[in-house]
Amino acid sequence: MTRHRRLGTAAMLAAVLVLGACGRDSGGGGDAAQPVAEGKATGEITVWAMGTEGEKLGAFAQEFMAENPDAKVNVTAVPWDAAHQKIASAIAGRQTPDVSMLGSTWMGEFAKTGALDPTPEGVDRGAFFPGAWDTTVVDGTSYGVPWYVETRLIYYRKDLAAKAGVSAPTTWDELKSFATAMRDKGGAKWGMNLQPGGTGSWQSFMPFAWSNGADLTEGDAFTLDSPQMTEALAYYQSFFTEKLSPPTDLSLQGALEQSFVNGSLAAFISGPWHVSLLNEQGGAGFADKFAVAAMPRKQSATSFVGGSDLAVFKDAGNRDGAWKFVSWLSRPEVQIKWYQTVSDLPAVQGAWSDPALSGDPILATFGEQLKDAKSPPAIPTWEQVAAVIDGEVEKVAKSNADPAATARTMQQRASGIGTGA
Amino acid sequence: MRRRDLLARGALYTVLGLGLLVVVGPFLWAVLSSMKPEAEIRRIPATWWPEVFTLGNYRELLSRLDFPQAFANSAIVAVLTTLGNLAFCSLLGYALAKLRFPGKRALFLVVLGTLMVPSMVTFVPQFVMVSNLGLVNSYGGLILPFLATPFGVFLMRQYLLSIPDELIEAARVDGAGELRIFARVVMPLCGPALATLTILTFLASWNNFLWPLVVATTEDRYTLPVALALYSVGQNRIDYGLVLAGAVAVLLPVVIVFVLLQRHFLRGIATTGLK
Repeated sequence: MTRHRRLGTAAMLAAVLVLGACGRDSGGGGDAAQPVAEGKATGEITVWAMGTEGEKLGAFAQEFMAENPDAKVNVTAVPWDAAHQKIASAIAGRQTPDVSMLGSTWMGEFAKTGALDPTPEGVDRGAFFPGAWDTTVVDGTSYGVPWYVETRLIYYRKDLAAKAGVSAPTTWDELKSFATAMRDKGGAKWGMNLQPGGTGSWQSFMPFAWSNGADLTEGDAFTLDSPQMTEALAYYQSFFTEKLSPPTDLSLQGALEQSFVNGSLAAFISGPWHVSLLNEQGGAGFADKFAVAAMPRKQSATSFVGGSDLAVFKDAGNRDGAWKFVSWLSRPEVQIKWYQTVSDLPAVQGAWSDPALSGDPILATFGEQLKDAKSPPAIPTWEQVAAVIDGEVEKVAKSNADPAATARTMQQRASGIGTGA
Repeated sequence: MRRRDLLARGALYTVLGLGLLVVVGPFLWAVLSSMKPEAEIRRIPATWWPEVFTLGNYRELLSRLDFPQAFANSAIVAVLTTLGNLAFCSLLGYALAKLRFPGKRALFLVVLGTLMVPSMVTFVPQFVMVSNLGLVNSYGGLILPFLATPFGVFLMRQYLLSIPDELIEAARVDGAGELRIFARVVMPLCGPALATLTILTFLASWNNFLWPLVVATTEDRYTLPVALALYSVGQNRIDYGLVLAGAVAVLLPVVIVFVLLQRHFLRGIATTGLK
């Protein structure tokens, strides 16, 4: 889940959660998964999906309807812009569809309202990437399945790297010397772009924290002031103090791609959508000038896994049909077809052996990285905690705040919010 | 003397021209950029006149969304909401300004009080009410909550206060009933206020995004701003060409309404001394 999705005010969310929780048994923990009836799906299945997924899923589901002639899938496309608010209001007003696509970091919040149906037995969790599956698990119960995934890699200019005489970095030390060489010998103004705070910068920072062995929570408590976290903050900060990373957010100015194309920026961290963006904006031949590399290793080489999950609502009029549609979308061959339709990376590991994915060097790197990728814990307060991390990362990057003190502040403010447990 | 006048006038026009540039500049850039390819829109430094002129953004917009349907939904909702406001706000405004009845002051304070509550606070309860009425995904649900607004009532009341009581009393002496006085004597004098109310309500309804997004659960009930947001803003990227083309498409009807009513509108602002 990322920057462009705008959330409503926290006050509104709180109201939604309170209202959503009224008159329902509290979700999480005690929910028991009900089995799904055998046989073909029947009846009408209403589905909400965002953006391109919403636009294309209706036609894509024709094949499901051909297999299940008595079922009819109705897809409503929802704009990403305010999808979170729409779903939150729908839960409060008990006007939910049967199935909805949910951003992977929303699961904790929505599952806690008690509106989501626990994933039935018989769904094979081992089929999915573990980091992606974890996004569906709230208090030990799974409330949906991952639909598609994305993870973050380092994009870098191959031609500048050749000029600077460096190859793709594999460790933290190498990343630093890589960025320095890109700037000093490769001719770039900035060696490596790290997001200097602002919405979503936790996605840029957390891979470093995770790779250093830090974790966000242990049980119900935050562990944001661990030595590992402090060290990761200090490492992140060094890119700014050594003038390797620009102090202003290039992507906020819409300048990230252009800087990368004109060579003033040598590398940045982003997800799979940047491949097509760069090819569009770089023009013919630019595809040969850049490559992607996995996150560099410290204790591990962990990246962030995002994407979207599919969840069925308890109020669903057609629960069995809904789960059948969800499990159809999780079949490896359907996931490959879906990738070919909208370029969403499959959340099902089995789909990655297909040559359409494994044959492409860039995609194969994403596939490798997905095996070591984490997501934040699925807690209802996550968006608030994320905002805290975003703000503190900004202080570290822009105003040279002390990493240890920042980690303590982060811990203090996050503990004030709580994990919602 | 004349020369000085000329100089003063020249200076005035320069200042006004600069102001105009600041106000209209971004708008002009948006209109021009909606006809540029994506890469040119993102270029830094930005260009003014399109180097490559294309209607591709508009074509894509029209082919990917059901434009006539969304436009019709927006028009139905905006027109009915505006008519409702004209009727109800002027009726209540008249009662609060000119009639004498017990609890009038309290009622006025209640109206003013609701003006102070931010709409975010009432959003979810309002949705739950609409949902309980079974109006989700209907035009009723899109229109009903906005049929009368406290601001409209306040605006009409303040304007009506300026109408002399003698006129109304004369009509009463002549034997006219309250509704007749309202329709025949008072309303014809309220042109500027009604025009102001029309524009403000139409604008608010036309640009409303969150409420129609939440209430409409199928795409055939989406209003224009909701339908336009569907494809231009992705999870991880924004298609600026589509955003700009969409913005121009949403803007045009509002500009037309404003141009048609602007004479009344300006007079309304001048005489009510409001907003």
